[in-house]
Amino acid sequence: MHNEDQELREHELAALAALPRELQPGDLLEERVVRALRSAGHLGDARRVKQPWMQVSLRIAAAAALFIGGVATGQYMMTRSDTNALDNAATIRAANELPTGSTMQHMKAVKSDEKVVAEREMWL
Amino acid sequence: MTLSAAVANPSRQTVIPRATTASLADFALVSAAVGGGEAAFRELFRRHTPHLLQFVSRVLGKSAGDAEDVVQDTWVRAYPALVTFRNESSFSTWLCSIGLRAALDSMRRGKRRASEFLFEDDDAPVVLPHHDERMDIEKAIAALSPGYRTILVMHDVEGFTHEEIASQLGIAPGTSKAQLFKARRVMRALLTGLEKNDA
Repeated sequence: MHNEDQELREHELAALAALPRELQPGDLLEERVVRALRSAGHLGDARRVKQPWMQVSLRIAAAAALFIGGVATGQYMMTRSDTNALDNAATIRAANELPTGSTMQHMKAVKSDEKVVAEREMWL
Repeated sequence: MTLSAAVANPSRQTVIPRATTASLADFALVSAAVGGGEAAFRELFRRHTPHLLQFVSRVLGKSAGDAEDVVQDTWVRAYPALVTFRNESSFSTWLCSIGLRAALDSMRRGKRRASEFLFEDDDAPVVLPHHDERMDIEKAIAALSPGYRTILVMHDVEGFTHEEIASQLGIAPGTSKAQLFKARRVMRALLTGLEKNDA
């Protein structure tokens, strides 16, 4: 009994079968859809259909550019580190050539001794 | 240019005259449209939109005007997915499955899953038509809750199987079957009430 309730009856089947299967859209819908697809870059002029050989060439060019860029960057970094090393060496060398603190003290002491000697000579 | 050459070279599809595209099979039109062929796409649109619009309109239970927005959304979703169409089912069935998702998204409005909102109002009391209001089967379907309406339209009108419905809605086939029986009972109540009123 339950199954009979659940199954469609003949007149219901006929009514469902008689339902229209199509509904004509408004005149503007097609243009709306085409415009939406164009603006999304899917259809018409906005779409650039690339040839396979062009895509391959672009990929090779991009890979070459990346490689050359990497080599150039590496060389630049190496040159820069060499320059830095030379600069550091020069700085160290210059620092070694300058008088140190103890040398300055020593020179001051000598000058002071010379002054004492000169004063003593004045009194004698 | 022959038909086979036209299909093989999609970039030249835009110049195919309408008389030619009209005679092409759906799969050939899909192949041409994937390559950006506007004429092929327009032919697909003209061929399948009337059925899609009717289907979406019934699922939504709304007027054609509201359903047109969903149809537009369906085509915008379908176009990038044309490359995945394998001709295993009919193009119309494939398109309707995308239309169903677009319609569910339109109805969902913030709900997390289709199955959550589809069946949440199904136990609500059915508002029977006023005694002087005549309701045919179309209006009875539109008066059903979204879950009942979706399953009844898919099964009894469009001919989807319970397995297909379950797959589309993310539910078990048994749930689809149970909901269909309830939907039929409610629809029958709507129609029987009317018959009594008409008598």
